Amino acid sequence: MILRELSSRALKSLLANCGVRIRTGPIVTRIRSRCGPLVEGLALHYADYTVEDDAGFADFNVAIVRPGGPRRWLRPQIAFEFDGATPFFPLPADQAFAMLEWGLNWCVHFHCHQYLIVHAAVVEQGGLALLLPGPPGSGKSTLCAALVHRGWRLLSDELALLDFGTRRAVPLPRPVSLKNASIEVIRRFAPDAVLNAPVHDTAKGAVAHMRPPAESVRRAAETARPRWIVLPRYQSGATEQLRPLSKATTFMNLADQAFNYDVHGRRGFEFLADVVSESDCFEFEYGDLDRAVVRLSALARQG
Amino acid sequence: MQPPSPLRWRSVPAHAIALREWDGECVVRNEATGNSHLLGPLAGRVLGILLGAGESLGADEIAARLEAAAPDTEASDGPGAIEAVLAEFRRLGLAESEST
Repeated sequence: MILRELSSRALKSLLANCGVRIRTGPIVTRIRSRCGPLVEGLALHYADYTVEDDAGFADFNVAIVRPGGPRRWLRPQIAFEFDGATPFFPLPADQAFAMLEWGLNWCVHFHCHQYLIVHAAVVEQGGLALLLPGPPGSGKSTLCAALVHRGWRLLSDELALLDFGTRRAVPLPRPVSLKNASIEVIRRFAPDAVLNAPVHDTAKGAVAHMRPPAESVRRAAETARPRWIVLPRYQSGATEQLRPLSKATTFMNLADQAFNYDVHGRRGFEFLADVVSESDCFEFEYGDLDRAVVRLSALARQG
Repeated sequence: MQPPSPLRWRSVPAHAIALREWDGECVVRNEATGNSHLLGPLAGRVLGILLGAGESLGADEIAARLEAAAPDTEASDGPGAIEAVLAEFRRLGLAESEST
């Protein structure tokens, strides 16, 4: 069953009681909540995701709850629970869905050490993956959101999962996080993109999420071979420039952006070096999204 | 002209590092510290010579071996540049020095 097949009432009931078990790529998360904005966010952004059987295994058990106390009525807050613990400070209630997404990212990069996890967007064409690693503000999520509306498949906008065994990128398609000016940029670029209303005054400024294309969710079991590594840098007004980047410099950038590189020791070093060896590596400065997408899509056509 | 440094240098054992080289640039992981480093062309060549030496070497000996391996080595790869690389290796735990 996919989530959109659940009535609003059934979804609310599941979330309020035993929880809803949503599959995102290789991960099943059991989510519980009675928080209205969260229910709406799940219904909007996770409509195409598989809902697993109640009795099945869940990798993560999480909840978005309303803490007690006087704040319950005055400027209500919400908290993220993971296995009953609350690893973060509460946030205003209207940030419920964003907090769930941030919490799920935390779950993955702190626990999924069967993968090498790189802070990177990943998209795919023809079975080949384009990795876009970068720190917050580099423009990777904006570029990723644009690419998936021009023929690329979304694997992840935030967490590249690289499998040690198969040496392939494993999809973890989840809502794409857009911040501040990027929200309007994507609305203009892809009018058919499904975004929620921005939540303002978060720690990251205004935040909205974009629903992943249904095709990307449906094909979430299809891995891809890393082929290109492109370090993006958005620069207002810049003409796009795709410049080859040395593999050693690319390696160091990827290592810096890998959440669990240190966890894997020498194995992580060798694996990351192999990924870099087998990829074409570039740095990419861009200022215009349409032109940036055309340039990267031309790269893919070259194979 | 400065007199040659009396220090002799030895790299950490080969099994204590992981090394990958592309187009003259290297990345190296120091198993003792868990840190990874980007090495430029000269540093990569110096580390390669120390790893293959099997004995401690002075900066002048390293310079001679670099010259023999690549006679077109630039003047900036002379003993002064090599000693700067070796000092950086000591800081990173990739090599240690001993007095003659």
